[in-house]
Amino acid sequence: MPAILEVENLVKKFGDFEAVKGVSFTVEEGEVFGLLGPNGAGKTTTISMLTGILPPSAGTARIGGYDIRTEMDRAKTLNGLVPQDLALYPTLSARANLEFFGRIYGLHGRDLKERVADVLRIVSLTERADQTIETFSGGMKRRVNIAAGLVHQPRLLFLDEPTVGVDPQSRNYIFESVLRLNRDRGMSIIYTSHYMEEVELLCNRAAIIDQGQIVALDTIKNLIGLLGGGVIHVGIERADPAMLEALSALPAVKEADVITPPIAAPLAPDAEPEQQERSPVASGAVIKVITEHSQQALVNIIGYLNAKDLTLTSLEILEPNLESVFLHLTGKKLRD
Amino acid sequence: MNAWHIAVKDLHILFRDRGIVIQLLVLPLIFILVFSGAIQAGAGGQSDTRLPLTVVNEDTGSKAQTLLAGIEEAGGIRVVPQERAVVEGQLDNSELPRALFIPSNFSADLDAGRQTNLRLVSRPDANAPRTEAMRLVIEGVARDMALEPQILLSLQQMGEMMANVPDAFAILAVEKGPAQARSQFESSRTRPLVELVTTVPQRVSTVEEQATAAQLAVPGFTVLFVFLTAQATARSIYDEKKVGSFRRLLASPIPKAQLLAGKMLPNVIASLIQVAVIFSFGIFALPLLGQPALSLGNAPLGVALVALLMALCSSGLGILIAALARTENQIGGLSAVLLWAMGLIGGSFIPVFFLERFLGPVMRVVPHYWANSAFTNLLVRGAGLSEVLPQMLALLVFTAGFFAIGLWRFEFD
Repeated sequence: MPAILEVENLVKKFGDFEAVKGVSFTVEEGEVFGLLGPNGAGKTTTISMLTGILPPSAGTARIGGYDIRTEMDRAKTLNGLVPQDLALYPTLSARANLEFFGRIYGLHGRDLKERVADVLRIVSLTERADQTIETFSGGMKRRVNIAAGLVHQPRLLFLDEPTVGVDPQSRNYIFESVLRLNRDRGMSIIYTSHYMEEVELLCNRAAIIDQGQIVALDTIKNLIGLLGGGVIHVGIERADPAMLEALSALPAVKEADVITPPIAAPLAPDAEPEQQERSPVASGAVIKVITEHSQQALVNIIGYLNAKDLTLTSLEILEPNLESVFLHLTGKKLRD
Repeated sequence: MNAWHIAVKDLHILFRDRGIVIQLLVLPLIFILVFSGAIQAGAGGQSDTRLPLTVVNEDTGSKAQTLLAGIEEAGGIRVVPQERAVVEGQLDNSELPRALFIPSNFSADLDAGRQTNLRLVSRPDANAPRTEAMRLVIEGVARDMALEPQILLSLQQMGEMMANVPDAFAILAVEKGPAQARSQFESSRTRPLVELVTTVPQRVSTVEEQATAAQLAVPGFTVLFVFLTAQATARSIYDEKKVGSFRRLLASPIPKAQLLAGKMLPNVIASLIQVAVIFSFGIFALPLLGQPALSLGNAPLGVALVALLMALCSSGLGILIAALARTENQIGGLSAVLLWAMGLIGGSFIPVFFLERFLGPVMRVVPHYWANSAFTNLLVRGAGLSEVLPQMLALLVFTAGFFAIGLWRFEFD
């Protein structure tokens, strides 16, 4: 498959603040590609550069072969943008909104009417087409918002957090529309979200973005595979390097590491008595255990702790998904 | 073409907003009605549409009274008696466009059949057609008045000829009598007993005219409210940014200049509609309400061009406000202070020729002044298009300035 989008070291600075720090990725024709990251990670800024809203500070991208630095006008004709906000005119009807957005992409006459009718069918709003947007529910507004990005039949559609503030029924409707557009019309889609379930459901591949950088990029299956069979957070009173080594060597365990607090370095022999009193190992620690199979690993871990007469203070089993992958990669939750 | 699509869309949105429509069209008419009514009441209450003619009458005889009565009877002119010192001061201070001076020996000269001069002092920047109309009326009345002494004089001369002539030559005297009378009448045409001399005062400054209430209120409030639409341009851009549609427009293949032109165009169109409605109201509706009608002067094309430049300038100002204000409150606050204050300084509430006396050149820093000044010249003084070119140029400079600064400070993202 040829690439519809090739992004190379794209950077965006606002004064001294670097919002996007050299991201690179490609999106193939007909692919649904996810950009997953928390609020403020740089997803919308990246999309803004790719759609011509913001000029990049460095790096570039090619959309359908057009360089966004030198041929943005042409690239824009291939793009469709569904912004995070409800970018519609509330006092105009759904049809008037869609006709306006069609006209600014050069559609007119019969073509325009047919395209508007088509996208109204896609979002199932034909019956309500002549009512003003302000009379619509939140979910219906979101659907018109999507239709406005589709009216000129883009080859590459940017969907920026399209389900924010949407009821479950409308959310499902949006998912179906996205999948149908990709399956039936071969439309390439870049889908940004901080809801990992959406990205898992809709996307073939995804880039996990945090603090303006891509921290992982792969197929959804491979990304989840980073965590093997899942992650177990084991809370114990004290932890030391020997214990971590022993845990890592248990069957069904891939690796073990302390996440809170970090293991203290062994104290020097001439340390003050007050310091000596403090444990050379972490107390009140949480150990992150990456497993090949979470249930088998759990049995082995508990067996080890019993054998060593160690008290378990907390236990958390993270099933392998993008949320736990994000936590594993960044140490933060997606919704932080 | 894309700018046009944006403009059409914005006009649809604009005219669905009742608040905006009231501000654009209804509010100016209310202001005009109230202010023109107040001005008229202040000027004497009744709707006397006759042109006022200030007269300095230094003659103590009856002929001057007959002349003034004749001028009033001729219709169209209202005689306003005034003292010489006052009138000369007003002419010097640009407070009066013209005045008629009747000399002290006016009656005596006429009775004696001697030639006498009336002096019509008219400022060069006074409404020329009005001055000419007044001159014709005064001349006509003066000529009729002079006819009586001319006839009496010729009859007297004929009598003298008849009395002195021998009988044998009486027939010659009878033949000579009509010739003498014809000569007298010819003389009255070439060398009239009463001659009207039109002069200009020594000092010339900015003109003032005795305008009607409509001529003061209609253009003034038109200028004010056309510039108030700048707020609508700014708000429209803010709303687009707020709902996110501006991002969608930026992501479309519309050049940024066309995008801004598209945001300016609706207000240019709305402003022109506004001018058309307000002026039509002044021309057709005010007379129905017992007030004098607005006259478009002698250069309707000039009025249209000034209106167009003013509309462009207002939209440019809207772009500037949108660029400077960051929030809805800032747009409201900035617009309220800026646009109303500019209207006040620029002569929208108080006629330019009054305000100039104490604000002086300060007025020139706001575009309202130039628009008001252009309308005053065109509508009140009957000036031609070429006479308002400086004002039109100033409006063009303001438009370019507003747009350039707006574009420089505008945050597209």
